[in-house]
Amino acid sequence: MKKTTAKYLSFLAGAVLFFVILNPLYIINEGEQAVVTRFGEIVADTPNAGLHVRIPFIDIVHVYPKMIMSLEGDSQRIPTRENQFIIVDTTSRWKIIDPVKFYEAVTDVNTAYSRLSDIVDSSVRTVITSSKLNEVVRNSNLINELQHRENFALGADAQEIEFDEITTDKIVYERISRGRRALSDEMADIAREKVLAFGIDLIDIVPRQIKYSDELTESVYNRMIKERNQIAQTFRSAGEGKKAEWMGKLENEKRSLLSEAYNRAEEIKGTADAEASRIYAQSYSKDPEFFSFWKSIESYRKTVPQFEKVLSTDMDYFRYLYTPAGR
Amino acid sequence: MTMTDGYNRGTLRFRPSPSMIRLIAAAILLLFIAGTGFFVVDQTEDAVVTRFGKYINTVGPGLHFKIPLWIDRSFTVPTKPVQTEQFGFRTVRPGASNVYQNNLTRESTMLTGDLNIVDVEWIIQYRITDPRAWLFNVHRDVRLSTIRDVSQAVINTLVGDRAILDVIGPERTSIETNARVMMNEQLNAFGLGVNIINVELQNIVPPAGVQAAFEDVNKAIQDMNRFINEGKEAYNREIPRASGEAEQMVQIARGYATERVNKARGDVARFNAVYAEYRNAPDVTRRRLYLEAMETLFGETGQGTLVDKKLDNFLPIRNLDKEAAQ
Repeated sequence: MKKTTAKYLSFLAGAVLFFVILNPLYIINEGEQAVVTRFGEIVADTPNAGLHVRIPFIDIVHVYPKMIMSLEGDSQRIPTRENQFIIVDTTSRWKIIDPVKFYEAVTDVNTAYSRLSDIVDSSVRTVITSSKLNEVVRNSNLINELQHRENFALGADAQEIEFDEITTDKIVYERISRGRRALSDEMADIAREKVLAFGIDLIDIVPRQIKYSDELTESVYNRMIKERNQIAQTFRSAGEGKKAEWMGKLENEKRSLLSEAYNRAEEIKGTADAEASRIYAQSYSKDPEFFSFWKSIESYRKTVPQFEKVLSTDMDYFRYLYTPAGR
Repeated sequence: MTMTDGYNRGTLRFRPSPSMIRLIAAAILLLFIAGTGFFVVDQTEDAVVTRFGKYINTVGPGLHFKIPLWIDRSFTVPTKPVQTEQFGFRTVRPGASNVYQNNLTRESTMLTGDLNIVDVEWIIQYRITDPRAWLFNVHRDVRLSTIRDVSQAVINTLVGDRAILDVIGPERTSIETNARVMMNEQLNAFGLGVNIINVELQNIVPPAGVQAAFEDVNKAIQDMNRFINEGKEAYNREIPRASGEAEQMVQIARGYATERVNKARGDVARFNAVYAEYRNAPDVTRRRLYLEAMETLFGETGQGTLVDKKLDNFLPIRNLDKEAAQ
C-alpha cells in the first residue's frame, strides 16, 4: 500500500516536472494566434485556439492577437484644398491577418503601432489636402433637402408679423460628389495597401472629430455672431416698425375721430341756426313794418343808454313839452 | 496519571494513520476541485467557457461546473444591464441631484454642414448581446474605445450633414434615429457583439464664444414684443380719450342747437303776443310801445342834455374836459 502510494507520487512529480520544466504544450486562447520559430526559422503558424504541441527548448512560440486592435491617430492640423486649416482627429482599427508576414515584417505589436501610425497619418493628410472643406465636413447633399427653418418663440403679439427674410431664405449649398464616408474609405484604401505587406488588415480610418484651427475658429465665431446680430436686428426693427404702425394708426384714428366730431357739431349748429332763422322769419314776415318798429325800440333800449346824449326837443317824444295841444 | 500520560503522548507524538492521510489529501483535493471547478453566474450575466483556450460554450445564470486546474476557464460577461456612455459631459457624482461636468469640447465640438460650429452632448445606451463575440473579436483594451469612437464618428457625420439650425432644432430626432442605425451597422461590422439600444442627444448649443449673440436674438424678440406693446399701449391710451373728446364736441353742439332754437321760439312767442295786441289797436299800441321805450331810455340815469331846437343863437357848449377829469 505504502509502496504504491510512493510510486504514484513519484510518477506524478515526474510528470509535473516534465510539463513545468520542459513545457512541450502551449495554449492559444480564443482571439489569439501564434507563429512557432525553430532556430529563427518559422516552422508553423497556429491560427486556431486550443492546446498545441511544440519541441521543448527549441521551438519558440510568438503569440499575437487575432482580435481587432485600434489606433489613436494624432490630432493633425491639415490644410484643405482651399488652404483652410482644420484639425482632424482620426482613429482606425486593424488586425493581424497573416502572422507569418507580421513576424517577418514587424515582429512585435509595439513596432506595428508606430509603423501604422505613420502610414495612417500620411494617408489622412493626403486625402484631406486634396479635398474641399465641404467634402470633409459633409457626408451627402442631405443639407439641401432640409428646411433650415428656425423656430422662434415669437409671442402672441408678433404673430401678425411675417418674417419672410428670416425664415424662408433657403441657401443652396454647394453640391458634393463625395463626402466624409467616401473620404474615409479612400484613406483606408491608401493605407490598407501599404500595411498589407506587414500581414495587417486595416479595417477603417474614421475622422472622429473635425475642428477648425484656432485662428479659423475665431473668424467663424465672428461670422456666426454677425449672422445672429442681423437676425436680432430684424426682430428689433420689426418691433419698431410695428410700433410706428400703431402710432400712425393712433394718429389717424384720433384725427378722424375729432374731425368727424367737428363736422357733426358744425352740422348740428348750422341746422339749429337755420331752424332759428326760419322760426324768426315765419313770424316776423307777418308784418314787416311793425317788426321794424318793435325791433328798433327793443334795440334802442339796449344801445342808447351807452351813448353820451344831447337830445333835441324836436323829437316826437317831446311833442307835448311846450303845449298840451301838441305841435 | 494514566490520563495525563496518554494526553502528553497524544500532543507530542501525533501519528495519524495512513487512511487518515488519504482522507485529508482527498478532502484537500476535493476542496481544490470544488474551488476551481464550480462557478456562479449571476442573473445579470452570461459566462463563456473555454477549454485549453478554445471556446466550448456559453452558459446562463446559476451554478456551473467546469474542469478544474485551469483547463476550463470561465469568463462572465454582463449581458443584461444596459450600459451608458456619455459624450461631451460626465456625471461626476451620481445621486438624487446629479453633479455634471460639462463642456468637454474635445468630444462635443463639431462642424455643421453649413460650416458653423456647434457643441453637442449625447449619450448612448447599449447592451452586450453576444458574449463570445464581445470577448474574442475585439481586443479587451479597445472594446469601450471602439464603441466611443464609432459613436463619435457617427454623430460627427450626421451633424456635419445638416445646417446648424436644423441640428439645434427640427433634426434632433432624425439624428438620434439615424445614429442608432449607423452605430449598430459599424459595430456589427467589427463583430463587437453589442447592440446600441438608444442614442439620446442632450444639450445642443452654439459654442460659448457665440452664445451671447444667440441669446441676443431671444432678447431681440422680447424687445420686439415690447415695442409692439408700447405702440398698442399708446393707442389704447389715446383713442378712448379722443373718442370721448369727439363725443364732447357733438354734445356741446347739440346744446347750442337746442338753446338757439328755444331762444328763437321764445323771441317769436313774445313778438307774436305783442303783435296780437297791436292788431287790436294798432295806433295806440304803437304809441304806447314807443313812449314806454323812451321812458326806460331816458328815465334811467338822468344824464344827457336837452336842447330846444328853436334857440337859434344858443350853442350848447359843454365842458368836456371837466367830464373827462371826473
